[in-house]
Amino acid sequence: MEMSDWAKGLPLRAGENFLGLYQPSPETAEYWEGVTRHEFLIKTCRSCSKLHHPRRILCSDCGEPGMDWVRASGRGKVYSFSEIHRTTGVFSPATPYVVGIVELEEGVYIFTRFLPEEGAPDKDNSSIRIGSAVNVEFQVLEQGMLLPVFRVGGE
Amino acid sequence: MKQLAGSCVIVGMGRSICKRGDPEKKTPLQLMVEAAGLAMKEAGVNRTQIGAVFTGRMPRTYCSLQYNQAVLNELKIMPTFSSEVTSHGAGALGTIEMAVLAVQSGMIDYALCVCGEASPLWIEMVEGSANWEGDLQFEAPYGATTPSLYAQCAQRYMHEYGITPEQLAKVCVENRRWALDHPQAAMHKRGPITIEDVLNSKMIASPMRMLECATWFPGGIGSAAIVTRANLAKASPGKPTYIAGFGQCSTHEWIGERMGFWGAEPVTDGPNLVRTGASVAAKQAYTMSGFNPKDVDIVQTSAPFSFLNVLILEELGFCAVGEGGRFVESGGVDYDGGLPFNTTGGYLSFGQSGQGLYLLKEVMDQIKGCPEGRPVPDVKVGLVHGHGGPNACHSVMLVTGEPLN
Repeated sequence: MEMSDWAKGLPLRAGENFLGLYQPSPETAEYWEGVTRHEFLIKTCRSCSKLHHPRRILCSDCGEPGMDWVRASGRGKVYSFSEIHRTTGVFSPATPYVVGIVELEEGVYIFTRFLPEEGAPDKDNSSIRIGSAVNVEFQVLEQGMLLPVFRVGGE
Repeated sequence: MKQLAGSCVIVGMGRSICKRGDPEKKTPLQLMVEAAGLAMKEAGVNRTQIGAVFTGRMPRTYCSLQYNQAVLNELKIMPTFSSEVTSHGAGALGTIEMAVLAVQSGMIDYALCVCGEASPLWIEMVEGSANWEGDLQFEAPYGATTPSLYAQCAQRYMHEYGITPEQLAKVCVENRRWALDHPQAAMHKRGPITIEDVLNSKMIASPMRMLECATWFPGGIGSAAIVTRANLAKASPGKPTYIAGFGQCSTHEWIGERMGFWGAEPVTDGPNLVRTGASVAAKQAYTMSGFNPKDVDIVQTSAPFSFLNVLILEELGFCAVGEGGRFVESGGVDYDGGLPFNTTGGYLSFGQSGQGLYLLKEVMDQIKGCPEGRPVPDVKVGLVHGHGGPNACHSVMLVTGEPLN
């Protein structure tokens, strides 16, 4: 598989002056590669099997650095959310939209976009409530990035 | 820890303000340096006596690596101990904590603490603010805004404890009443507001409406303090303010990862979005000082949203966990007869100016009986709460006008 070189670093400049390198996140590269294949991946500790947020470098339970990627079921519940009415830039035309924290079936929490149940009237987000069951989908959002999002539905 | 109680004093406090529309538009560095000069003058110390310089985080509108070095370069101070204290807005009180540890140990005699911001004078504040509070990789691409990050906590707080929108609106109404008396407050001339006004204001990020969100202070504020040991207080001309107790606690950086934290206070029994580091910081400050919430005569908080003001009252021990809504509803922080709370108008009506020591100054002025706004009678013990990041970093400080026994 062709992997993007996430570890290259991007030069930061102030006018003509080179300030240093901004380092992107090689430890999450595989998460984003998974997204391009419509696979939702989380991390698991090679030593103690604890499941983690895709960013983790070191297991916060056992302290070991080895991490593997596992495919999550994509099922979860709305843990918290907020319907955004005021924002700026490319996101403005999309208001009101809902961002929040999903509690994955695997016990890992991650920030996301929530979508209302299929067939809901346009801009009606009332099906998104704390505890609503949600499933992962992949959508290109307003900035043009393909992202995992979670839609209300199922048991 | 108890040996720190009252061991150190603030012998000089300076503040410099520049408001939008003033003839000269000042940078944060100008404001901070002016404030430092005022503090040193009040303390009666010169630059060669200052052994440590602690600054808050680098201002958004004067980005310079090693910001603390830029400050001491301007003041021509040559400290033997110096650092930038960067736990978001909680780092402002953090500078005083560092100063106490440095002077109480005997390493140095005088520390200068200086913080400031002037963003609203120089940049469009709404655009880009989310990128300072949010995770650029896992939150910003979803269109998160700063209010929407805090709203994650607000939603759970209301859900778990049955807090009502009316109860949250009440704290906005009371904050505004104090602002009408404070000449520097952003909302000084905007008149009073009602619970209905709050509930009818535009939705920003549910459950929070416009009048429940902090307004930006319409300008910049630099603030500075000189800290020394209590036994050196006599060398300064003014009346000292005693640092009775302090504490600090950070629980995360990004709200989307807060649920990965547990195992210690304030999330001993498991992750949640409703308890904060403020309870831990307060417990430490109370234990150090020997005071309890009943001893406190005045409280300032840097809570930028309605729900956080109410929640912080619980965290600071002024009411039981989950009782913040009922406490506020039943007059707990009423302008008339309640606990004097956010006597400048708070972040909601005085305005938020990045980070600074201006809330500490308000408490010191009230203790000395010379506040800019409405005086609170007989203030003996004051509490200041500093906060920054999306509910991430909290500091608490207790001060008094008299030595502790």
